[in-house]
Amino acid sequence: MKTDNNASAQREYDVIIIGGGATGAGTARDCALRGLSVLLLERFDFTAGATGRNHGLLHSGARYAMTDGESAAECIKENMILKNIANHCVEDTSGLFVTLPEDDISYQAKFIDACNNVGIHAYPINPKDAIRMEPSVNKSIVGAVVVPDGSIDPFRLTTANILDATAHGATALTFHEVVGFEMSQNRVVGVKTLNHKNGERRSYYSKLVINAGGIWGHKIAQMAGVAVNMFPAKGALLVFGHRVNNVVINRCRKPADADILVPGDMICVIGTTSSRVPYEEIDNMNVTADEVATLLREGEKLAPSLASTRILRAYSGVRPLVAADNDPSGRNISRGIVLLDHAVRDGLEGFITITGGKLMTYRLMAEWATDLACRKLGVEVPCTTALRPLPGSTIAGQSEEAAETPVVESTTPANIQRAEVDRHGELAKRIARTNCYDHSLVCECENVTVGEVEYAFKELSADTLTALRRRTRVGMGTCQGELCSCRAAGLLSRAHGCSEKAKAELVNFLNERWKGIYPVAWGDSLRGAQLASWIYGSVCGLNTIKPTDKIAKK
Amino acid sequence: MRYDTIIIGGGLSGLVCGIKLQEAGRSCAIISAGQSALHFSSGAFDLLGVTADGTEVERPFDALKSLPAEHPYSKVGADGVEAYARALPQWFAQMGIVLNGDVERNSSRITPLGIVRKSWMMLDEYTPLADEAAIAGSRYLIVNFAGFLDFYPKFIADCLEQRGGKCRMEVLSMSAVEKLRINPTEMRSANIAKVFQSQRQLDKLVELVNSKASEGETVVLPATFGLSDTLPVEYLRSHCRNNLMFVSPVPPSISGIRVQRRLQAHFVKLGGRFYAGDTVNGATLEGNRVTGIATVNHSDILFHADNYVVATGSFFSNGIVARSNEVVEPIFGADVNYDTNRDRWFDRCVMNRQPYMDFGVATDADFRMLKGGRPFDNMYAIGSVLDGHNPLEEGSGSGVAIITAMHVANSILTNTAKR
Amino acid sequence: MNLQENNISENNFEQCIKCTVCTVYCPVIPANPKYPGPKQAGPDGERFRLKAADYFDPSLKYCLNCKRCEVACPSGVRIGDIIQSARLKYNHEKPSVRDRMLADTDFAGEVATKMAPLVNATLGLKPVKLLLDGALAIDHRRAFPKYTSTTFEKWYRKELTAESQLKYAKRVAYFHGCYVNYNYPQLGKDLVKILNAVGYGVELLDDEKCCGVALIANGLYDQARRHARKNLDAMRRATASLKQYKVITTSSTCTLTMRDEYPHLLGIDNSDVRQNIETATRFIYRLIDNGEVRLAFRDDYTRRIAYHTPCHMEKLGWSVYSTSLMQMIPGVELQMLPSNCCGIAGTYGFKRENYQVSQTIGHDLFAAIEASGADFVATDCETCKWQIEMSTSKKVFNPISVIAEALDVEATRKLNHVKI
Repeated sequence: MKTDNNASAQREYDVIIIGGGATGAGTARDCALRGLSVLLLERFDFTAGATGRNHGLLHSGARYAMTDGESAAECIKENMILKNIANHCVEDTSGLFVTLPEDDISYQAKFIDACNNVGIHAYPINPKDAIRMEPSVNKSIVGAVVVPDGSIDPFRLTTANILDATAHGATALTFHEVVGFEMSQNRVVGVKTLNHKNGERRSYYSKLVINAGGIWGHKIAQMAGVAVNMFPAKGALLVFGHRVNNVVINRCRKPADADILVPGDMICVIGTTSSRVPYEEIDNMNVTADEVATLLREGEKLAPSLASTRILRAYSGVRPLVAADNDPSGRNISRGIVLLDHAVRDGLEGFITITGGKLMTYRLMAEWATDLACRKLGVEVPCTTALRPLPGSTIAGQSEEAAETPVVESTTPANIQRAEVDRHGELAKRIARTNCYDHSLVCECENVTVGEVEYAFKELSADTLTALRRRTRVGMGTCQGELCSCRAAGLLSRAHGCSEKAKAELVNFLNERWKGIYPVAWGDSLRGAQLASWIYGSVCGLNTIKPTDKIAKK
Repeated sequence: MRYDTIIIGGGLSGLVCGIKLQEAGRSCAIISAGQSALHFSSGAFDLLGVTADGTEVERPFDALKSLPAEHPYSKVGADGVEAYARALPQWFAQMGIVLNGDVERNSSRITPLGIVRKSWMMLDEYTPLADEAAIAGSRYLIVNFAGFLDFYPKFIADCLEQRGGKCRMEVLSMSAVEKLRINPTEMRSANIAKVFQSQRQLDKLVELVNSKASEGETVVLPATFGLSDTLPVEYLRSHCRNNLMFVSPVPPSISGIRVQRRLQAHFVKLGGRFYAGDTVNGATLEGNRVTGIATVNHSDILFHADNYVVATGSFFSNGIVARSNEVVEPIFGADVNYDTNRDRWFDRCVMNRQPYMDFGVATDADFRMLKGGRPFDNMYAIGSVLDGHNPLEEGSGSGVAIITAMHVANSILTNTAKR
Repeated sequence: MNLQENNISENNFEQCIKCTVCTVYCPVIPANPKYPGPKQAGPDGERFRLKAADYFDPSLKYCLNCKRCEVACPSGVRIGDIIQSARLKYNHEKPSVRDRMLADTDFAGEVATKMAPLVNATLGLKPVKLLLDGALAIDHRRAFPKYTSTTFEKWYRKELTAESQLKYAKRVAYFHGCYVNYNYPQLGKDLVKILNAVGYGVELLDDEKCCGVALIANGLYDQARRHARKNLDAMRRATASLKQYKVITTSSTCTLTMRDEYPHLLGIDNSDVRQNIETATRFIYRLIDNGEVRLAFRDDYTRRIAYHTPCHMEKLGWSVYSTSLMQMIPGVELQMLPSNCCGIAGTYGFKRENYQVSQTIGHDLFAAIEASGADFVATDCETCKWQIEMSTSKKVFNPISVIAEALDVEATRKLNHVKI
């Protein structure tokens, strides 16, 4: 993606979007497709917030069917849309809602009814058939319901939205934090930014600013002088070393801790817990021992083999729950989409907040926000994002190019090519395969080649190792960076011509990995961590360099 | 099967101990469960790099006395450590392992990431980094093999240039090496070293280096030569016109593997028996005395000895094993010194001292392993399985491995009469 | 609370901590860059295959199954098993006629022994070799093992007779394997000579099949499973009637296959008989170690012997028994060759596409053998023997044959009070 299409301070954009998560990226794409001039500003990297810190579950909506029919209906609609427009980000695994002996079986019938009422195709199957369908599931289940769940990769999804937005003229800048607003009387006319890479401060101007900052939108709104009451709810998850299951497994009961096990790529994820955290902590959360214990205890009930499967890491995200406007206490919290036109609500022109919702509804949120933006800007172009495939995805029969592209004669082993296609869809053909060098693996756990890394450097604005990880899965496999991060740093130093920065990046990358490793470091994970410490600390001498916290950069 | 001493663990520590005992005419068996941590050697041996209060050590012998009483060096005694350490270069030389440097003081090496780090003695092809004045007057040609991802000329060039050196970088194209690159993963240092077991390929490399380097340049090469001996290194040094300097790629470490092989070959040559790929899974005891051990491969045929030495390493080689809330010694259930509060095992910053690296088995003053606080009569622990030191933070890993091994071998020789 | 107390995963690949040590010890990588290497083919690849079967990479067939990666692995990962299991599970290519022919040692042996002189002569002829090469991709440079005209079983029944062995109060069952039966009965006779001399009778299983190693290597899993079940049943019958006695072998590969590949690759439970299956040298070593028997050797037997550790012996860890026995012979000067793969790996080296790789792998070992100054090479594996005899100037003998030749039978019988 060419993300900096003539970013210019002089220029007045139609919209500035704050936040490079799925919602911000989706909104940038929608706005750009409707012909608006767009500037997206992300304070760190795309998907650095809640977008990159969830289950990666392509909800069928069944999870919400009993409690929130509206959300459930939105989910199943978006589920079907995403299976079409984002098929390279989605794995159509199907899902099970299982009832354990300790659960109330009468919940199942009510659950099926609730699903079917909102259009989610849910049907019970014999527990034996469920075990055949997903052999890892607890053999003692007494009930099972099949639902159209799947898994979705939020990194790829967001990248694809950014790619399409920039292909349609949008500019997207990472490491640009909004630190204030340019105001003209009761109107927001632009934003003040701080560039975290070079410390530069400057302002950008637009007719409209869209706040898509998720949980951080609370603070952004505050800077604009309006109040959006967010209640950070922390959810912790565990990543296991390989796929235990190939079908999503949910617990058929009232939503509770650790009741969803999602397969994705070469791993699976159990989650989540749910706890309120003070707003001050949202940038610096750690998974606690109690959370790990809860996740394991409940997870083992879904799939007993989790008890003996290596845990790669623990992580947590923050759900951006929004308090209803008439209830600042936060007791009446919505999981639904919240679109605020601050002109109507607060008398502040030129400022919209899109928040609430969830990854599943990012596109719908973007559509709502863009509809409102278009109305305000007097643009009458309909939304096409529900039909138009994202870059990398094809809709059966719609891509002539795909049909005509001959299979590339390549020395790259088929399994490595396959991994690239899994990650980049059709765009995998943009990865260089000119010589053996291109197919050599940087990351041996996830099969990421030199060609793919260089593609991510050049075209996916991966300018840090962490960004590279989000675009390619470098360092997300079993070794958690032990073998690959050094090689990636070597390539980065070559790309940037600077080894000091690459070393600093390497330390930051390893520190970020460590944050997720130590809460679950025992057994083989601790052995691996010790080996990595020898290699980086002792052999490479990297322990003389201390990490620079992303927050401390301010 | 009967031996005078059975050593569990075939890495640096176990082999040093076994060789010392064999040299004294004692029959030894080493039981080794997989290859050792020497495969991740930095190319240098550490003795002591940093004291407990964090000061960098210039002269390791002087700093020994500052160590806490529970440190393995303190158990050996500062004088003992010094004596063992001083004798080491000559002793290793007999096995064809050369240690370069000054036993009195730590010197500098350049790491794969172009960071200058202090170590005690450099192995074989590595030599202490010249001081800044010498670097400032020098020109360097840093070469890498086309497609080799584990060596980083740019890092090394930047490091030398910061010290005033002038650097050029070149990529060497050699079809025999590049053939490895047909494989997406296997162009690793050890496989490159295997290519240069061939004299023809060495000659080609010499020719290539001579054609690329201009007069007076020091040629910096990745240390990917000589898995079993230093002949390829010596050949390059004597046939390349320019001065050569070797810098380690990231592991596997060729010099570490070479040390492993030379020690192992020497041990076997002296009549020692090396059981590779076997795991000890049981023991018979009489009171505090170990009478025999059982292994996976030999099941009902037990190993018997007068003395047993545990050189099983740290977490990496399962010498100690971490569970979610405890750390255990898996073979004998021996006492392990660790923090019972798991929250204190780790520092949140990956590059800080990690307390878990201090964990290890508890021993008495003579390195006898303890169980329930009581020492075994005839079982000792040596090397990184020991508690009381943090090899990474202190820069003491190989020193503790070697010196405790020599010390325990001496104790066994003194305490147990020859059969 | 202690979490994941039993975190030994059934998926043994999870113990891999990506240290890359295995890649240093793989003999195939330097010889054939098309082989992904043990780490990628094994634990790394397994994660992908668990996601989708089409991540299976057919080049896993280049693995020799030497298991040197497993011996080197500091994490106890059964890398070789993971690779072979993946081939078993995901490779749906039908084995070629050539592979079937190489794999079906029983069938080939039955036919060939009946026409042994003809077969031996023809297989040695250049036109036949070229025909095999052209039509079946069996490399024409490869020397074929000779077939015998009288199988070991026939010799045992007709000449030795089972009755003669029943006279011994202590008996052991012998799994002779295809090689002894069809190619080299002398090895079996040598074993009988030693055991009879120490007072042990040798019985055969009532129904012995090929251990199945060649079937497994060539993808004929169903047939391999049938063989495995029959062999295990025969062993159960034998050990039930012989009570405490063992089933011994003179081939390291048959031993490893029946002990470890049956459960690990074929999924067949052998836990009730596994501990009873061992090499003859281990069996004899134990008898001597326990003080039950003693061996006496000829004074005039003086030989310089170089011992080659077959890969599967390295994995079993049992070469110590073979070498210790040979070292008991006063006139033997034994030297250990560096433990390297010879490159043949059963039927692997017979295939035209592998010939060069096979010889490249063995190159260093061959050089060491030539340089050894030994009178001959001793090793416990028949295919290593073919490879070394074809590729060096030395003859190769099984340690059992060495002991049999050096044995002073009469003195040994006396020492052990054998009256039969």
